[in-house]
Amino acid sequence: MLKKIGAFLRKNILLLLFISFFIGILATIIGNKAIEYTSTDEFCASCHVHPHVFASWKLSTHYDNKAGIKVHCVDCHLPPKEHGYLVEKARLGLKDIYGYLTKDSAEFNWEAKRTVEQAPHFTSKASCVKCHANLFPLTLKKEGQDAHLYYSQNEATLECTNCHLNVGHYDPKAKHTSNSEFGKGSGKNQIIYTESTKLEKFASFTEKVPGSTISFNMVAIPGGKFKIGSPQTEPFRRADEGPVKEIVLSPFYMAEVEVSWDEFLVFYGKTKRQGRTSDTKSTGITEVKGAGGAGEVDAVSGPTPPYGQPDQNWGLGSRPAITMRFATAETYCKWLSQVTGKKYRLPTEAEWEYACRAGSQDPYFFKGDPKKYSKDRFWNKIFGADTTNINRYVIYSANSKARTQQPNAVKANPFGLKNMLGNVAEFCSDWYSPDAYTALSDGVKDPKGPASGTERVIRGGSFKSDPAEIRCAARDFTRDVDWMKTDPQIPKSVWWYSDCNMVGFRVVCEVDESSGN
Amino acid sequence: MSESNFSRRKFLTSAATIGAVGAIGVNMLSSCSGPKKTAVALNLPPLLEKAPDGPPIKVGIIGCGGRGSGAMINFLDAGPNLIIYAMGDTFLDNVTACREKLKKEKNMEVADDKVFVGFDAYEKVLDSGVDMVILATPPHFRPLHFEAAVQARKNIFMEKPVAVDPVGIRSVMASAKKAESLGLKIVTGTQRRHQLDYVETYKQIMSGAIGEITSANCYWNQNQLWYRNPQASWSEMEYMIRDWVNWQWLSGDHIVEQHVHNLDVMTWFIGKHPVKAVGFGSRQRRVTGDQYDNFSVDFVYDNGMHMHSMCRQINGTANNNSEFIMGTEGKSNCCNTIWNLQDKEKFAYKYPLDEKGQPMKNVKMNPYVQEHIDLITCIRQNIPINEAEQTAISNMTAIMGRMSAYTGKEVTWDEMMNSDLKLGPTTYVMGKVGIVDKAKVAIPGDANQG
Repeated sequence: MLKKIGAFLRKNILLLLFISFFIGILATIIGNKAIEYTSTDEFCASCHVHPHVFASWKLSTHYDNKAGIKVHCVDCHLPPKEHGYLVEKARLGLKDIYGYLTKDSAEFNWEAKRTVEQAPHFTSKASCVKCHANLFPLTLKKEGQDAHLYYSQNEATLECTNCHLNVGHYDPKAKHTSNSEFGKGSGKNQIIYTESTKLEKFASFTEKVPGSTISFNMVAIPGGKFKIGSPQTEPFRRADEGPVKEIVLSPFYMAEVEVSWDEFLVFYGKTKRQGRTSDTKSTGITEVKGAGGAGEVDAVSGPTPPYGQPDQNWGLGSRPAITMRFATAETYCKWLSQVTGKKYRLPTEAEWEYACRAGSQDPYFFKGDPKKYSKDRFWNKIFGADTTNINRYVIYSANSKARTQQPNAVKANPFGLKNMLGNVAEFCSDWYSPDAYTALSDGVKDPKGPASGTERVIRGGSFKSDPAEIRCAARDFTRDVDWMKTDPQIPKSVWWYSDCNMVGFRVVCEVDESSGN
Repeated sequence: MSESNFSRRKFLTSAATIGAVGAIGVNMLSSCSGPKKTAVALNLPPLLEKAPDGPPIKVGIIGCGGRGSGAMINFLDAGPNLIIYAMGDTFLDNVTACREKLKKEKNMEVADDKVFVGFDAYEKVLDSGVDMVILATPPHFRPLHFEAAVQARKNIFMEKPVAVDPVGIRSVMASAKKAESLGLKIVTGTQRRHQLDYVETYKQIMSGAIGEITSANCYWNQNQLWYRNPQASWSEMEYMIRDWVNWQWLSGDHIVEQHVHNLDVMTWFIGKHPVKAVGFGSRQRRVTGDQYDNFSVDFVYDNGMHMHSMCRQINGTANNNSEFIMGTEGKSNCCNTIWNLQDKEKFAYKYPLDEKGQPMKNVKMNPYVQEHIDLITCIRQNIPINEAEQTAISNMTAIMGRMSAYTGKEVTWDEMMNSDLKLGPTTYVMGKVGIVDKAKVAIPGDANQG
């Protein structure tokens, strides 16, 4: 039998070769057809049940442009052929089938997927530059030249989507330019306050910002003693949270909530400057000696217009103001002091932790165990955690929908302060140092932190944080270089962060020494 | 046997290639596929003795002073079928003198309607039907003129320096990239890169003749340069432009205007720019303007290597215009000689012999002509050449040194790339500029406290 087959094969070798060749060709053609078919916009649409992306794509410059070129789903959302197109197509295909069968696309946070952080997961840089090979066309204007020059010197750390985020899916609210209209038209209506609130005694009060309609609550925080830092046994404790030291604090007032856009925009509207000529970090080169020396606060110069949309299009109003740099927050306090006649400033790290704890020495000011909440724990990932209590007090990764929330979404701590933990991280006036507490002596009064440093302390975690990072003792700090990565302006803004949307601040007011109020 | 031989040879070739590539630097890897291609891999100009013939090249001169009219003659000496077609300058007397020189030395004339005077002369020259321009005004105007020339899609010979401030440098870098994508041919007046003795020494060093470079020095110490006194008939603007080598906003100071040549040799041989600088400088004997007359700057590279630069324009002082690099296995003056660490000569460039059979002092080809030969060769044979960005980098290095000396502070490359410093007026009209008198010469540091 075998012999027969063998003989047949030998005889008809040419025929066999021809047949296999034909099958091969056919397979290739069918394969290519299949790839072509599964790469059409219609095919993508058949599973990707989120019709809004098609509408926004058709409104975008990648669908409607002068050249009349239509850019398809796979052109951006899959890497080019020579960058592993097929592998990525297969991987994403499997992922999509799994998602289609097991998940409800209506529950996805589509907006979060359109952020600078997440966009690179869905759009490869290689795809952008495959078509946009010439970054310096003759028509490129000065701003574009500066931005692309900056890109060409930092290619490793920048994505095209850092700046060109909404080019594939139109967003009517997106800004890709210096935003001189920002904050205009807010704060109109109602009574305009003519003077700030007079203090008769040391008690919580509502501050009125003269010349505006804005008021905000200040909570009287009694002086006292507390232990700063966390014990070695606290879950998720980091080394910079110790050694624990006892601290004595004088009474002070602290804002009930983080500075809102409404409050911030009064400052911005009254102090901002057009143009960018003075928006320059002093390199000691263009500095003019003698102009505006120490102590001169007569005219506080505030921020220049931001690049893009500082509120991330999440809305202004009573949402916490975000993305301002440390110096901006400090300038805000200086301005607020000037218009109210009180002494407003950023809290020290010790004041912040004391106010946050409000008498508690536990991980949180409410009852709760970080181990039971944290998604870092395998157990919690699989079985979920009972987060009822933390949800009452904190806006964090699990309940924030990847953005800041209104202050009234949470309950206050025992002092009456809201959002001390979560929502946005808050600037403290201290320089950050990992061993700052080592330098403190036990029983020290009103410490102000290290004398110098490179980054500032930020506390409280944010809407992005895991429960492990929003313990009362958890410390964090600014990353000035990373957080300015995208800003394509030359020089970069000294007022606004381009790559940090989770930092804001809260003001404290000093008790007037002469009156004691 | 033959096969093993083959393998061995192949291995040796590969090893040599890897060695060469390593020395040349990773950024040139793409164009380097073997020892024979070294010249291409090293990004060297063609260096012919005469530009090949071809269709006529009509040139417009923008800036007809000393260097502009000099470059004009160098250009005409470079090869056949080259035409001076248009001229532009801020001042009539400069254009007139330039036309006379052209007539006298080359018996060539420029039509009356192709001669333009005033601050906007450059636009008219670019619009006059030229194929190429020579940009030779004071450097303050270069970024503007370069940008306009690139927009007009012209091939360009432009003099160093290419800008006087960081804003200008960034403009030139961006225009250079636009020019590159258009395939324009650009040469920038850093003629050492076209000088055969430098080039041969460079080749030796790139193939490892001194090992890894460990430190470097460069100098341009010379006598006082020229200056002009104000005249009653001149406005302040006219005076400053006629006295331009003494004014910061026009020349960038002499560390930029002149010393950029030596700093460019450093960029060329070291293959990268420094990351920071601390410099000294002062004004001792300069007669007019607001510049220093001496600088001494310590530049530091990303690997911690130091390069020291000195420049001075004072009579009766020790003169020196040269470069020096030290390596792990030898040292060189960059110009013609390489020694080993025991001072024994390893390489010496062989200059041509004179009638008496003695070696001459200079290379056969005048480098100021050679750079034009290279440009025209590249245009006529469509070989890519675009020196603008590399010159902008050397130029920025010089500006970084100047700013450090002026302020007394450490200045970093990143600060320079982010600086919005722009010198000079924003509009150009004959009249008051707001003259910076001698008292406004930069004074580094803070005043002593009583």
